[in-house]
Amino acid sequence: MRGQTTHLDTEVLAEFDAGLITGRRGARIAAHLAGCDRCRAWRDELAAVSAVLAAVPAQAMPDGVAQRLDQVLAAEVRHRNDPERARLDRPGHPASGARRAAHRGLRLVPLRVLAPAAAVVLAGAGYGLSQLAGGAGPQAASSSVAAGPANVSSPANAAAGRAAVPAVLPSSKGPAAQPQLMPKVSFSFVTSQTNFLPGTLGPQAEAALRAAESAPATRAAPAAVMTCVRNVVGSAHLLLVERARYQGQAATVIVLRTNQGELAKVAGANCSAGPSQPLATATVP
Amino acid sequence: MRDASEQWPSDAELLRRHVAGDDQAFGELFRRHRDRLWAVALRTVCDQEEAADALQDAMVSAFRRAADFRGESAVTTWLHRIVVNAALDRLRRRAARPAVPAGDEQAFEALAGSTGDPAQATDTRLDVDAALRILPPQQRAALVVVDMLGFSVADAAVILDISPGTVKSRCARARARLLPHVAHLRGNRSASQSVSPAQGGDV
Repeated sequence: MRGQTTHLDTEVLAEFDAGLITGRRGARIAAHLAGCDRCRAWRDELAAVSAVLAAVPAQAMPDGVAQRLDQVLAAEVRHRNDPERARLDRPGHPASGARRAAHRGLRLVPLRVLAPAAAVVLAGAGYGLSQLAGGAGPQAASSSVAAGPANVSSPANAAAGRAAVPAVLPSSKGPAAQPQLMPKVSFSFVTSQTNFLPGTLGPQAEAALRAAESAPATRAAPAAVMTCVRNVVGSAHLLLVERARYQGQAATVIVLRTNQGELAKVAGANCSAGPSQPLATATVP
Repeated sequence: MRDASEQWPSDAELLRRHVAGDDQAFGELFRRHRDRLWAVALRTVCDQEEAADALQDAMVSAFRRAADFRGESAVTTWLHRIVVNAALDRLRRRAARPAVPAGDEQAFEALAGSTGDPAQATDTRLDVDAALRILPPQQRAALVVVDMLGFSVADAAVILDISPGTVKSRCARARARLLPHVAHLRGNRSASQSVSPAQGGDV
């Protein structure tokens, strides 16, 4: 919409108004403006741009984001107060997630991408996922792991989306083997906006575990998710299933405990692709 | 406009307390400014998810690097600078990786969209948001900081880590570029028809 004539370019006008064009060129522009209605009109329009922008009401931070940031902040505070972390801490570290993992040689094995959306499944030394029988309905799904032998599926637990079930361990490695992170045998199902990243999956998973301990779960795990989780986790013990994102894509993060320690695996959202290959795997410190 | 500097404890005091080991201080400081910080992140990256990530990056970074704050600028300026950096970082990384189809977004939209969003003025905001997307990130960041958040050019220069002259030129180019997309909103805003108070030249 620039005139082919000698009318002033909008950008030139904008720069002139910003005081960026002075001297002889500035004087020429001023002279042109003085005699050109059209360019003056453009200039008024231009000034209105700033006015429009300034008048746009700011959007309040969504509750979900605020909650997530609160959780991350709480984790930061805990980490700061953790002497071990203090010892391992080094300045200039990437600003994401818990850091201890990063110091323990995080192994990250990116696998093929299954689905646009991924899911992170965190499993630990609890029940074998095989016990997550597919029978679990959507609302009971979250608790169904722990609900296995103990047959616990109290409405309260299901409603909370968290299996707050005391440790009834049919398997060898009990929760006793689990230190500070997961005093409970149960696993948590959480929906978050956390964006897990390849470089920090382990530490982030650790932080997620901590956060899941203190924060209320948001909803029950859909049966479809649990079916996927079962596939991903196999016989390992489930600690946490977090519906989040991985590299910006919806994902399921699964944290589980194996003989080699805790692992974080990333699967598609709802494990939509069905199969058992995780998008990524990392050890959790 | 709230003036954070008039609150007590002051921003700087909260930051000092945080560095001294106060567990609550940083949270208080961050909550005090988070809506504005959210706005700058959201408008710079033009995406809720990315904005949340950027803000999280920034918050953690500020938490950990608080001791580096030297007081050369206001604490809010420092915070905004960290947020803008994180936002532009996100955009760089996003640009560096191939576009992927969005995944199971409903679940997240359900979360993100659950907040109250006053219906009125939403249209204008959406139009402006859409218009902002056409700008290159650096120009957009400058325009957001100056025109939308109302920072002075000098403060914007600190936030964006560029010279004041560059702030001006980026804003100027951004305004010129937005003009065709924003002009129709003037009426909505009942902006005075005879805007520019400083009528250039001597007519």
